[in-house]
Amino acid sequence: MSETVEDSSGQPFSRVESDEDIFKETKEDLTSSLFKSAMSNPADKEIDLNDDESPSVSQPIAPTTAGGQEPLNQAGSEGYIKISVAEPKKVGDGMSSYLVYRVVTRTNIRFFSKQEMVVTRRFSDFLGLHTKLMEKYLHKGRIVPPAPDKNLVGTTKLVISQQVTGEANTADFVEKRRWALERYLNRTASHPILQADPDFREFLELESELPRATNTSAISGAGVLRLFNRVGETVNKMTFKMEEADSWFEEKTQQIEALDAQLRRLQSSTEALALQRKELAQTTSTFAKSAALLSTCEEHENFAKALVQLSELEEKIQGIHMEQVHADFFLLCEFLKDYIGLIGAVKDTFHERVKAYQTWQHAQGMLVKKRESAEKLDSAGRTERAGSARDDVLEWEVKVERAREEFEAISRTIKQEFDRFELSRIKDFKHAFISYLEALLESQQKLVKQWEDYAIQVKQIE
Amino acid sequence: MDEALAPNGNTPVMLTKPERSDTVDLSDNALQVDISDALSERDKVKFTVHTKTNIREFKKQEFSVIRQHEEFVWLHDRYEENDEYAGYIIPPAPPRPDFESSREKLQKLGEGEGSMSADEFKKMKQELEAEYLATFKKTVAVHEMFLQRLVSHPVFKNDHNLHVFLEYEQDLSVRGKNRKEKIEDFWKSFTKSTDEILLSTTQKDTDDFFEKEKHFLVAFHEHLKDATYKADKMTRAHKDVADSMLKVASQLAQLSAMDVSPLEECFQKLIDYLEKSRKLESRVSSDEDLKLSDSFRYYVHETAAAKDLLYRRMRALADYEAANKALDKSRIKHKDIQAAEYAQQKACENFQVISDKARDDLRSLKSRRIITMKKSLVDMCDLEIKHAQGHITLLKSSLSLLQEE
Repeated sequence: MSETVEDSSGQPFSRVESDEDIFKETKEDLTSSLFKSAMSNPADKEIDLNDDESPSVSQPIAPTTAGGQEPLNQAGSEGYIKISVAEPKKVGDGMSSYLVYRVVTRTNIRFFSKQEMVVTRRFSDFLGLHTKLMEKYLHKGRIVPPAPDKNLVGTTKLVISQQVTGEANTADFVEKRRWALERYLNRTASHPILQADPDFREFLELESELPRATNTSAISGAGVLRLFNRVGETVNKMTFKMEEADSWFEEKTQQIEALDAQLRRLQSSTEALALQRKELAQTTSTFAKSAALLSTCEEHENFAKALVQLSELEEKIQGIHMEQVHADFFLLCEFLKDYIGLIGAVKDTFHERVKAYQTWQHAQGMLVKKRESAEKLDSAGRTERAGSARDDVLEWEVKVERAREEFEAISRTIKQEFDRFELSRIKDFKHAFISYLEALLESQQKLVKQWEDYAIQVKQIE
Repeated sequence: MDEALAPNGNTPVMLTKPERSDTVDLSDNALQVDISDALSERDKVKFTVHTKTNIREFKKQEFSVIRQHEEFVWLHDRYEENDEYAGYIIPPAPPRPDFESSREKLQKLGEGEGSMSADEFKKMKQELEAEYLATFKKTVAVHEMFLQRLVSHPVFKNDHNLHVFLEYEQDLSVRGKNRKEKIEDFWKSFTKSTDEILLSTTQKDTDDFFEKEKHFLVAFHEHLKDATYKADKMTRAHKDVADSMLKVASQLAQLSAMDVSPLEECFQKLIDYLEKSRKLESRVSSDEDLKLSDSFRYYVHETAAAKDLLYRRMRALADYEAANKALDKSRIKHKDIQAAEYAQQKACENFQVISDKARDDLRSLKSRRIITMKKSLVDMCDLEIKHAQGHITLLKSSLSLLQEE
């Protein structure tokens, strides 16, 4: 995956960050280098794929970096980007059919090729994007937003038959997924570094189909391998106890764990609320039907009319209740689920740091061993063997140094990412609550109107 | 529930509640009743029945007695057994005060006290107490309604048992039915319903009015029962929604407690909203219960009582026809003609009286029903609108608070 493309100045430049790059730039502030390298990629990528398109080599928006840590601004402090995902359409038939989503991007950020872009993507494309971003950025400590859950049962249900499982269930599932995909893209786009990533931009811009990301399918060789890796990692997480020198990390780890647990509890009680309201909608509808039946045997003509109107009113109220269920569900429930996933991504970065620490410790251990063996050989007078042992020692010294720097780099990055996470968390929650209340307000206003209309009708009866 | 039409189309007698001014014209035959107080003891409810009257038979013009639910049922049964009232719809006895579900919930709450936060516990306790109070109010209203129906009926109000009930200061010593009597009751109702079915298939009714009434009442009663049941489910679901908001609010409170960021204020506002909104939704639910479910439920009982009346009339008709046949037979046999004639005449009179009274009562039931049901619906609309508007105000203010920062 490491193609070298020439940019306008003719300097060879790797498309994918490799460890060597970072190593070369140890003197510079890592974040600024990442920015620059990320920013200057676009031009190259464009030339590669769309020959007719003129390379838009606009100056990337790189915040002036003067060394030292600076806060990671919300991307879009100068630019604006909003992505929407439309309802999916089925393509093909039978077992080989799949759903495609229309992705519309509106932005004024200059390194994107157009101000408005429309592409179609399938679910595996989203997962493929996520995998790529994870591979590139997780080990550096970036919080990579998690992709929506792959729900195999849900997909098969959809593909096989819409009627069998019931329209309502599939409609719910489709809407859930669409909403999650939209959230995923917008969150990734709001991260200043991920936003500029070439794979991400290609995802949004490339009008033709993306190459099938086959290694994302659940039952593939790569999938199984991932599963094994994940198991191994989980074991690792449980067994390895890191000596934490930095109290910040200790504090934040606890904080994140507590937040995770509490959000899960909150999420389940909001789900209960949504379900109760759904029950209310159903009982309202049942009552409406029985009121209609009652009206048929009511002997007083006008009152019978009142009963019929009552029945119609209650049916409309049922609709309003269902809208509120929708608000409960998406604006609260799914939003919280989304956040729990994000917290998972945060925990992943913490874990990556632990792994970096392990690597460093391991390297130190190896260095000690190599030094010991070199000295033994030296004192034994076996100069030739001693020489290669000395080389080994040098090699491992370098490795130790590199591992230490990586560890420190990831620690710094995580702190930065975490601050950004905290800020956006506040904004996100506030925005979610406001949207929720606004939706409820709309429902109540409709409700008032319905009752007012009915009141007029009933009062007229004699 | 403060207005009842006298069944024979006389001018309505306004029955006021104690809070309103007592400037009601007390004509010579006036009798006014209300339940001025009620006390809930562990197992029973003690109602204070307060009477105002200038009927000369009573010793005083204003007096109060304490009555329990069983005594109301006793009173109802006395009316039902009285053959003189066979032609009237007997007002249905008030249902037993049911605090079972509240008590159960309170118990469960006590058991689960350890598992929830002190704040949550306090809120749930308040909620349950409010529920208990609402049930209490309902049972008082229903008992009061029963008495008011009796005193507003020109014939019922003169009944001796009623006067005893209202005036006798001691306990009426009405013991609850023992097992034997309960079995007798059951057997009686069983034979009655089989008789009813038999009559409805074999007995022909020449009177159009009653035929139509029968068809109407049977169908209407069934459907009304069903609608009442569904309305109950709906109000219960509404209550549940309100309760689950409480849970969400408490979870949010815990979340905000562990969060030191400015998010805490944001949470607090949502929590406030949820708590207020829950109270609102709860009130909506109980208003719906009162105006819709209870109103329907009352007429389920009334239509059942009306069906009973029709049955009694049918029975009288069957007896009359049997007496006719007996008379014919005795004329043929030239035996006991006078006795048979007498019996036949009695049966005929009985049937006529019942038919006439029934006709009137049923007609007044019709108009009474439409008026009360319509009023309930109108009241419900007004309440729903009021609550929804309250909710809108709450939402708008919560929103503006949130958007403030």
